[in-house]
Amino acid sequence: MMKTDFRQERSLSAYIWKTFGYIIMLVFSLLAIVPVLWLIVNSFKTTVEFNSNMAGWPRKFFTKNYPGAWRAGDFGILFLNSVIYTVMSVGISGFLSLLAGFGFAKIPGKSSKIIYSVFILGLLLTTQTLMVPIFLQVSQLDSVLGLLFEKVGLCSAESFHLFYNTRFAVILVYVGSLLPIGIYLCTEYVKSIPTSLVEAARIDGAGYFRIFNLIVIPMSIPILITLGLLNIPTIWNEFALINILVSKTSLQSLPLGIYRFSGTLSSDYGKEFAALVIGLMPMLLFYLIFRKQITNNVGAGAVKG
Amino acid sequence: MVIPPFIIYLFVLAFPVVLSIILSLSNFNGGRIFGTGSMKIVGFGQYAKLFSDPYFWHAFRNNIYIVLVSVFGQLPLGLFLAYLIYRKIVCFGTFWQGVLYIPSVISVIVIGIMWNLIFSPFGPLAEVVNDVNLSSYQNKLEKVMESYDYQNGDAIENEMIDDIIRIDSRAAKKAFDDPGKGIVATIEVLSDDTDKQLINDLSNILSRKWSSDFLNKDGSSMWPILFVTLWCWTGMYLIIFLANMQKINKETIESAMIDGAKEKSILRHIIIPELQGSIMNCSVLCIAGSLNSFALIYSMTGGGPARITQVLAIYMYEKAFMGSPDYPMANAISMMMVTFSLLLILLTRKIQKAFGGENDEN
Repeated sequence: MMKTDFRQERSLSAYIWKTFGYIIMLVFSLLAIVPVLWLIVNSFKTTVEFNSNMAGWPRKFFTKNYPGAWRAGDFGILFLNSVIYTVMSVGISGFLSLLAGFGFAKIPGKSSKIIYSVFILGLLLTTQTLMVPIFLQVSQLDSVLGLLFEKVGLCSAESFHLFYNTRFAVILVYVGSLLPIGIYLCTEYVKSIPTSLVEAARIDGAGYFRIFNLIVIPMSIPILITLGLLNIPTIWNEFALINILVSKTSLQSLPLGIYRFSGTLSSDYGKEFAALVIGLMPMLLFYLIFRKQITNNVGAGAVKG
Repeated sequence: MVIPPFIIYLFVLAFPVVLSIILSLSNFNGGRIFGTGSMKIVGFGQYAKLFSDPYFWHAFRNNIYIVLVSVFGQLPLGLFLAYLIYRKIVCFGTFWQGVLYIPSVISVIVIGIMWNLIFSPFGPLAEVVNDVNLSSYQNKLEKVMESYDYQNGDAIENEMIDDIIRIDSRAAKKAFDDPGKGIVATIEVLSDDTDKQLINDLSNILSRKWSSDFLNKDGSSMWPILFVTLWCWTGMYLIIFLANMQKINKETIESAMIDGAKEKSILRHIIIPELQGSIMNCSVLCIAGSLNSFALIYSMTGGGPARITQVLAIYMYEKAFMGSPDYPMANAISMMMVTFSLLLILLTRKIQKAFGGENDEN
C-alpha cells in the first residue's frame, strides 16, 4: 500500500517536472532562434515593405538585397580578409602553441617553469582591455622604425607602416591573444604522450625538432582540431582589436565591414538586413557543419580557461 | 622551442601592460614617445582625476551590472537548462542544446545591431505589441457597438460613447483632448464607411500605442543590454555544464533515486557539489568575458544615449580615439579594468577555497 502511494507521488512530480521542463526549453529555444530567423526573413523584404511590416512574413520574396549589399559594402574583399586572418592566425598560433607545449612538457629546463606561469597569467588578461596600449605600441613602433629608415635613406618616415594598417600586425596580435589558451591546452595534452617515446628517440640520436616533427605533431592532431574549433569563431567574430589596428577598408574584416556598412546605410533596411545575414551566415554554417565536434570541444576545452 | 611564441606573447600581451602602466603615470599626449623628450612621468594624478570622475563611476557601475548578470544569470540558467537535458527530463537533448548554442556562434556585432533594431522605438517589438493591442481593442469595440445595436449612420447615443471611452480611457484621452466630442466627430466624418471599416478606423485611433524606447530612457537603457548579454552566452555555459555533468558517476544518482531522492535534492546534493570546480572555472571565464562586452555595447548603443550605457571599455575607447586623445587617462582606465578583473578572479578563487574546493581537477 505504502509503496504504490509513493510511486504515484513520484510519477506525478515527474510529470510536473517534465511539463515544466518542456515549457522552459521551448521558451528559451524560441528566444534564441526567433530573433535570428526574424533577421533572415527580413532580409527578403524591400525597405518599403519593412517599414510597414516589420514582424510578419514577407509578402513577396525579394532577393535583390543580397547582391546590392554585397556590392555596396565590398563584402567580397572583407570576406577574403576574414578568411586570411582566421586561417593564418589560427594556424600559426596552433603550430606555435604545440611547439611551446612540447617544450614545456617534455624538455626539462630551469626557466621554462617561470615562462609557463607567465603564459598562464595571460589566460586572465583579455586583449580588449589592452586595446589602447596595443594601439599606441603599434603606432609608436611604426614611427620609431620609420625614423630609423629615413635616416638610413630607405623611405620617408610618414609612409612607413610595418604595424599599423597591415595584415601582418593583425595576424601578429591575434596569434598573441590566442597563445595562452593554446599553450595551456597543448602542454596538458603533450604531457599525456609517453615520455619514454621521446627518450627512446633521443637515444637513437634524434634532435628535438625531429622528434617534434615525427612524433609530436602526428600524435597531437586531436588537440590541434580542438584548438581550431575553439579559435576559428573567436577570430572570425573579433571586433575590438581589428577596429583599432586597421582603418583602410581594403584590410577590414567582415564584422568590421558590417558595422561600418550598417552605420552608413542606416535607412536602407533591406540592404542592412542582407548585410547582417551575410555577417552571421559563415559562422552559423560552420557551427551547423561541425555542431557535434564543437559541442564536445567547447565542453571539454573551454572550462579549462 | 618556447622562444618564438614567448616573443610574440611579450609583444602582444606583456609589453602593452608595462607600456600602459608607464603611460598612465605620464603626461603623454600623442606624438612620439621616444626621442623627443616631451613626455614626463607625473605620478598618480590621472588616477586621482579618474576617481573623482562621475562618468568613470557610472561606467564602472554598468560593468558591475554586467558581471552580476553574467555570474548570477548566465551560470545558474545554463546549469538549470543543462540539468533538464542531463536528467532526460526533456527528450531531444541534443536538439535543444544545438538551438540554444546558436547565439554564441554569431558575431557579436551582428547581434548588437540586430537587437538595436528589435528594440528601436518603432521597431518590430512595438509593432507586435501594438497589433495585439489593436485587435483586442477591435473586439471590445465590436461588442460595445453590438450591444447598442449600432449601425453606421444611426443616431449616436451618449451612453455608447461613454462605453467606448471606458474601454481604454487613458488611450482615448491621449487621442483627443475631449474624448466624447472627438469620438462623435470622428464617427460623423466616417459615416460613409461600412461598419467593419468604422470599427477598424476607430480602433486605429483609439487603441493604446506603445513604443519600445528602452534604449533611449535613462532608467531602462541598461536592461536591453543585460538581456542580450544573457541571451548571448547562456548557451555556451549550458554546453560546458552538460559536458561536465556527463562525467559524473551515474551510479551515485541511481542509488539516490532508489532511496527516493527528488529531482530538487539530486540537483542540490549531487550535481552542484560535483560541478563545483567547473562552476568556479566558469565564473572566472564569465568575469573575464563580461569585461569583453565592448563590441556588443559598441554596436548596440555605442555607449549612448548620453553615456548611459557606457562601460569601462567604451569609456576608454572614447578617451583614446574620439575627440582629442587623452592617452594617460585611457591607459589609467585600462589598468583599472585589468586590476578589477584580477581582483574579481582572486575573489572567486578565495570563495572556492573557503568552500573546500578540493575537486579542482579541471
